[in-house]
Amino acid sequence: MNEVYLDYQSSKPVDPRVIDEMTPYFHDLFGNPSSLHKVGDIATDTLEDSRKRIAAFIHADADDIVFTSGATESINLALIGFALKNRKKGNHIIISEVEHISIHNIAKYLASQGFEITKVPVDQYGRVNVDKLERRLRDSTILISIGYASNEIGTIQPITEIGKIAKEKGIAFHTDAVAAEGLVGLDVNRDNIDLMSLSSNDIYGPKGVGVLYMRKGFRVNPIMIGGGQERGLRSGTEDIPGIVGMRTAAEIMSNEMDSEVVRFRRYRDKVIKHVLEDVPDSHLNGHPTERLASNAHFRFDGIEGESILLSLKDKGIAVATGSACSSKTLEPSHTLIATGLVHEEAHGSLELTFGRFNVDSDVDRVIEAIPEVVAHLRTISPIYTCAGR
Amino acid sequence: MKSTQYSEKVLDHFRNPRNVGTLEGDDVASGVVGNPICGDLMEVFIRVKDDRIVEAKFRTFGCGSAIATSSMTTEMVKGMTLDEAMQVTRENVASELEGLPPIKMHCSNLAADALHEAIKNYRAKMAGEPIAEKQYSAEPTECAIGRDQFLGKGVYVSVEDPKEFKGKRVLVVHTGDKSLDTAIRLTAYSGRVVLSTPDKDIKTTKVLKQKLAKSAVKVLYESRLLEIRGEEEVERVLMHNLNEDEKYELYVDAVVLSE
Repeated sequence: MNEVYLDYQSSKPVDPRVIDEMTPYFHDLFGNPSSLHKVGDIATDTLEDSRKRIAAFIHADADDIVFTSGATESINLALIGFALKNRKKGNHIIISEVEHISIHNIAKYLASQGFEITKVPVDQYGRVNVDKLERRLRDSTILISIGYASNEIGTIQPITEIGKIAKEKGIAFHTDAVAAEGLVGLDVNRDNIDLMSLSSNDIYGPKGVGVLYMRKGFRVNPIMIGGGQERGLRSGTEDIPGIVGMRTAAEIMSNEMDSEVVRFRRYRDKVIKHVLEDVPDSHLNGHPTERLASNAHFRFDGIEGESILLSLKDKGIAVATGSACSSKTLEPSHTLIATGLVHEEAHGSLELTFGRFNVDSDVDRVIEAIPEVVAHLRTISPIYTCAGR
Repeated sequence: MKSTQYSEKVLDHFRNPRNVGTLEGDDVASGVVGNPICGDLMEVFIRVKDDRIVEAKFRTFGCGSAIATSSMTTEMVKGMTLDEAMQVTRENVASELEGLPPIKMHCSNLAADALHEAIKNYRAKMAGEPIAEKQYSAEPTECAIGRDQFLGKGVYVSVEDPKEFKGKRVLVVHTGDKSLDTAIRLTAYSGRVVLSTPDKDIKTTKVLKQKLAKSAVKVLYESRLLEIRGEEEVERVLMHNLNEDEKYELYVDAVVLSE
């Protein structure tokens, strides 16, 4: 039987159409945009053409796009670069409790460098409370960074409202849009986004490529120093095949997102309905409606996530969990804790994320497997029987 | 090494756990060990005849290696004398399983500890000693730090209008049947209701107990509220898990005290 892959949040296959577009740029069109000869000119044209076309994907100006090695670098450049550039204006930065781990770790680093970090709490669904955010603003606040949607529980944040507040107060607004790209229409002007981090792989492009969108007037200090590529903001020879890949992925996404989202929503709603109906003492994590079309996130009383993951692995189904036992630090998911769960509940979580190459039968397989796996693990659990349910 | 990179033997014991279940009888004792970091819980039962373990069973809440080490431990000790079984270490269990990922050595490999607890409990039982139950001093929870500061800002001493709790995460501190009833009542309005009690069990009427079991109330046993935290209003509480002696933050929007 085929492997059923339901972990698109962690990695996506590159679309074959993207690979086809990239291929000539590895050998035939291999130039360096910094070179002044014809081979180099072709590379320059390709780079600038790609910049324009990727900018269109988020309704931005081409001049405001900086290519990076991926979302992590984009986020580093956005947060560290902006903080260092604007240190004289203030030292206060606001993030939320449910950011991707990279944002939390960068925030820790910035705190060690003398910046003050405030984390806005979220509600039980993982949504940022805009009033609470507003009350945390200070005269020294220079940057608000809130992820567009949670990479774990799929909750979509009130980005338009946050962008409006940031604009009114003259504070820069960065959003890590990695979890949302390809699932939500991105528009930096509609949402008053000043800085936005994107990854290529999350729209079925190659890994190792990303973008930082930077609105005019919101500049950053470079964190990669070298030959001065990307207007000195990101040195290093441009990865033309990767950039072409991201451009192609973005254009395919622009054409296909609407129908794809409808399909994912159908998968997601079917899985949620069946799991909640078929498995006693099961719960949905995240928002019931304001959630990514591709994300279904559960928790099951009395059992642990890694055990669920291993059991599903034995049945040929690839999933993820927020359980402490499967993390590098043995800490439970900070996102689940921020929604108000205790460790033991975060322990029993299961994350399914759908993507472009899933088919209807994948959904049927997982719907069949989950109740069996949960029932089996509960026969071993001392907690579930003790609960007297 | 990945935390889930398990040997074939670990996977075998995870897939086909041996000796799952419980034991009962005068010749039986059990030991329970929990992991304060991630909440793993292991329970080992032994049946002893002529100072030898003749039967061993387990139940485990935890990851793949937690289940596999429990299964292996119960297999290993069958037929051993109690003295021999006391010598079984976590390392012995891990090597019988052809190794564990390093990160899992100390977090999920607690079955040997649970076994030793069971043996101690058996010996105490045979000697006629009462098995020590943990006792927690009855400090009044009203003393929680932040109570006065947040009064009217998320801290309630009585629930007049449950509609005020709409969509909020509420912690109700158990002080008796009235607070229990409040917690159950609030589930109709609130986004989530957590009830904390320093005790191992909630002593109440049969009717309320059944109501509680059917309700969506999440009960935190052996737990005490230490501090209420937040910016201007209640946002988090610091809880103390008395059994594990672990302190942790729980995100809530309201706290109901001394109902």
